[in-house]
Amino acid sequence: MAMNLDRRNFLGLAGLGVGAAALAACGGPSTSGSAASSSPSDIDFTGVKPAGSFDFWTSHPGQSQAVEQSIIDKFQAKFPDIKVNLVTAGANYEEIAQKFQTSQAAKSALPGLVVLSDVWWFRYYTNGNIIPLDGLIKQLDVKIDDFQKSLVADYQYANKQWALPYGRSTPLFYYNKDHFKAAGLPDRAPKTWQEFAEWAPKLQASSGAKYAYIYPALAGYAGWTLQNNLWGWGGSWSNGWTFNCDSTESVTALQWAQDSIYKDKWAGVSSKNAADDFSAGITSTTISSTGDLLGVLKSAKFNVGVGFLPGGPKAETNVCPTGGAGLGIPSGVSKEVQLAAATFLKFMTEPENTAAFSAATGYMPTRVSADMTAVLAKTPQIKTAMDQLAVTKVQDNARVFLPGADQEMAKAAAKILTQQGDVKATMTDLKATLDGIYTKDVKPKLKS
Amino acid sequence: MTRQLTGSPAATAQAVPAPQRRGRWSGRTRRDFFVFLALALPNLALIAVFTYLPLINNMYYSTLDWTLGSTSATVVGIDNYVTFFTSSDAPQVLGTTLIFTVVTVGGSMALGLLVALALNAKVRGTTFARSAVFAPYVLSGVGVGLVWLFIFDPGYGVLSWLLRGIGQQSPQWINDPQLSLVMVIIVYVWKNLGYCAVVYLAGLQSLPKDVMEAASLDGANGFRRFMSISVPLLSPTTFFLLITTMISSLQAFDLIRIMTPLGNGTSTLIYEAYLQAFGAYNRAGYSAAISVVLFAILLIITVLQLRFVERKVHYS
Repeated sequence: MAMNLDRRNFLGLAGLGVGAAALAACGGPSTSGSAASSSPSDIDFTGVKPAGSFDFWTSHPGQSQAVEQSIIDKFQAKFPDIKVNLVTAGANYEEIAQKFQTSQAAKSALPGLVVLSDVWWFRYYTNGNIIPLDGLIKQLDVKIDDFQKSLVADYQYANKQWALPYGRSTPLFYYNKDHFKAAGLPDRAPKTWQEFAEWAPKLQASSGAKYAYIYPALAGYAGWTLQNNLWGWGGSWSNGWTFNCDSTESVTALQWAQDSIYKDKWAGVSSKNAADDFSAGITSTTISSTGDLLGVLKSAKFNVGVGFLPGGPKAETNVCPTGGAGLGIPSGVSKEVQLAAATFLKFMTEPENTAAFSAATGYMPTRVSADMTAVLAKTPQIKTAMDQLAVTKVQDNARVFLPGADQEMAKAAAKILTQQGDVKATMTDLKATLDGIYTKDVKPKLKS
Repeated sequence: MTRQLTGSPAATAQAVPAPQRRGRWSGRTRRDFFVFLALALPNLALIAVFTYLPLINNMYYSTLDWTLGSTSATVVGIDNYVTFFTSSDAPQVLGTTLIFTVVTVGGSMALGLLVALALNAKVRGTTFARSAVFAPYVLSGVGVGLVWLFIFDPGYGVLSWLLRGIGQQSPQWINDPQLSLVMVIIVYVWKNLGYCAVVYLAGLQSLPKDVMEAASLDGANGFRRFMSISVPLLSPTTFFLLITTMISSLQAFDLIRIMTPLGNGTSTLIYEAYLQAFGAYNRAGYSAAISVVLFAILLIITVLQLRFVERKVHYS
């Protein structure tokens, strides 16, 4: 049959191709069902054999690549039939989340085990991206009662356990012992911010440092550490699902923070990393993650002291938020991979391994029975971080459960702490934003 | 009765059949067409798969309320566009995009032209100077961003050290949203002016020397020659740079990502689209709508430039 291909036919064919492409484009997410979170019941792993290999996606929190690999090597020796591929899936929690969610969208290349941070795991839950671990915990006999209660409770929702704690941290108060000594101050962290406000001028006068205290960088989880100030003054970002960041207490707390910079002029805001600023001697004190402890001890050219976070006029204790990352298992992989990953998850979180991880990074040991004697002999400052666990508090829903809230909090903090914006107006705007995120992005996905 | 008109033009017209405009192709034309297809189709297929398909995909996603990572979404029509244009995001993001684009395009081109004039001088060391000016353009944006972050750091940056030397405090380049935009613009212009300089230099070197000499003989001074001869004759180069640098500025990403990860004060359309989908918010549908707005703006600008600006270009 002779082919009658003229320009018109060619254009027609091209149009058909574009149309086919357009139709193919419609192959994204399903638009037929509701967007509500799936709430899978316990998955039955009876008769399932663990897969021969799986990927473990991590950002190596606390520069933990070497210790992660050594734990994997130990695992391989014990379970030679399960190969764990250690994958650097990002430089931080945000990058790993980005990669994980992109893989979810592409429905391919998902890992068996993934690091998920405090502000990310909940949206994985609402999107149905991770499985509840309760069935696996039971089947593999994971000693859940031996985990630090506050750390394991962070991943509980709707009566299910969605992850296990891994690189868990809390903020810690870091101070330059030499500066404190020169200023004639006691060798300890201040009990309250009011006490520190009395110390700050003495520190500034004698230390030669630019600031007596530096607020953590706004891009570095400002919403996390500012909970300390808010709670100390009796405020918060939210109370349950009520967003009260514009309450008198919250506004007073942040007004005090603003005054410490602009009125009293003893505090500043870190541009990139408060721990680095502290190590460089720019400030006498700061608040940073326990995960920064070993790095600070290594790089600081002075004696480093650490202490509990200071309280405020309304609360002197229980003003320290939990934080850091856990490990979860994706729902989009086979049961075999899930079981293999859970087997490794159990091994990874066993007392000796969590102690090794803690020794290498400064993160909290997640197991109560972890033998930290050798670690504490080498780095006694970790003891302070461990003791502080007893007075930690679960973070405000607004920060950890609302997508993008941490970023909005950082922007609000920038307005208050770096542009001297009106605190009440900024917090009122923030409340409206948080309300909007909750109503649009979270509430429809929560089970009634 | 109709008369037979032989020999007349009309008769010739009747005798010779008129060429078929839409008839079947001759064997040779068809063969040529298949050669064209063989050569063009692989490229067309690549463009279709990697440019037009994602574009169409993106347009479709912009009609969805879709959280990145979720397997389900709701069709919302133009809601994402309405949300964008009625929220406080639109004026802020469009304003930032406008400032960033105008200043970086204007700055890169103006400084690039000045640098090109300097490099066009017949003095020793111009070859090295040309390489040095062009070098930042080929450097990785990530590396450039990290180095300049160190320079701008108010705590221990080089600039802060210099300012302290003259008794001044460093501004909060990174934390202050307005200053962070200035910071990113400075670095972007520094990185890209070499490209404009090299293109302008090529333009300057192709200017007809006889016209310049004639103008000199007529008594035109250097400034007059530059304004009345060089600038008009450089208009094709300027037009080319205007289009390419504007598109490049509207798509600037790496420096913004590295220097201001929160996008606080520096959230241009493309960075806002990134933040909304792949940053903390995961609003893939909303982000797609912002991307479509960016695409529409780029399309309109390019069409306007081709239609109106090109008319004022002297090609000879």
